[in-house]
Amino acid sequence: MADDSRERDVVVPERLYKTVTVFSTLFAVVAVVGGFVALDVATDTGSAAPEEVSVPMSLLGVALIAAGGVVYAFASRFRARGMATDKDSDDQSADNG
Amino acid sequence: MSIERKDEHDHEAWIQEKDLTAVESTFLTVLVWLDRRLRIVDYLELLETLYYRVNLQMPKSHTEQYNLDNKFWYWYPLYSLGFFSTLAYVVAAISGALLGFYYSPSAAAGAADIEGATVAYSTVAAIMTELNFGFFLRSLHRWAAQVMTAAVFLHMLRVYFTGAYKEPREVNWLVGIVLLSLTMVFGYTGYLLPWDQLAYWAGQIGVEMSLSIPFIGEWVAQLLFGGFSLGQATLQRMYLLHVFLLPFVVTTVIAIHLGLVWMQGIAEPH
Repeated sequence: MADDSRERDVVVPERLYKTVTVFSTLFAVVAVVGGFVALDVATDTGSAAPEEVSVPMSLLGVALIAAGGVVYAFASRFRARGMATDKDSDDQSADNG
Repeated sequence: MSIERKDEHDHEAWIQEKDLTAVESTFLTVLVWLDRRLRIVDYLELLETLYYRVNLQMPKSHTEQYNLDNKFWYWYPLYSLGFFSTLAYVVAAISGALLGFYYSPSAAAGAADIEGATVAYSTVAAIMTELNFGFFLRSLHRWAAQVMTAAVFLHMLRVYFTGAYKEPREVNWLVGIVLLSLTMVFGYTGYLLPWDQLAYWAGQIGVEMSLSIPFIGEWVAQLLFGGFSLGQATLQRMYLLHVFLLPFVVTTVIAIHLGLVWMQGIAEPH
């Protein structure tokens, strides 16, 4: 993977990094689990006949799962000082401490 | 320890002066807003402090030895999968012990109102339909088992991809592989206990897999399944493995696994 194609990195204070990692993970987990619950409700736990599947509810489920994934991925651009995105990147300063 | 507010970093001013896109600053503002109100991070920081106060681990980790302040990796979500597995194991143990009061591992003909059902299947059906909170209890046990299997596997992936298995933690990696295997045996033996069609044919697959082992296949099938065709002996062996042998073995190995982590410290990402 070329370094140019790397996503944008935003270095944030450590306390803010904790906020980001805790709340984005929490939101992602709740959204994905909620999305699967919504899909279960829409399809009567997968046993509904095709014409009985609730389309809005299924779309809501898929949207929730996608939203959880997007939030988790988006949050990964924020990092604390001294944190490298991978071990080969040269922006890991020697004085990280 | 008290939950008095520390000198707060001025997040709003920081967000203002930093060159962020609209989406980023909105995202951060929302999270800071939630943080101010729910204060989950403060409680987690208390736990982190507590961890350091009670921590007697022998070789300090690199960041602790040199007193570096970059311990942000304690906050990586995937570093909690091992604890998550342990939690699932405890939940499964407690709910399983309670289920044990109502389940009977017998392949004899069961209650008359279910055609062709065995006692084992009838007791599971009774737990689900007649016992107060029985449906909940069995669901809890099943979900804990599923979550544990998934979490243990993801924990192994995390340990592999962060290089946490490397020197001096090779032994704990091997112990972990044993635990992963035993977790799957736990899941398999539990899967057979309801003795319905799913269980029966999973058992058939197990017998045939055992028989496919060169030289010792027949001996293994006899030992594990009590014969080459499924019956009372199979169910009874699965039950004993599930509620007697494996709990002792797995609990001991988990204790060793956690004890080694305690002594060696959590591996930092390489």
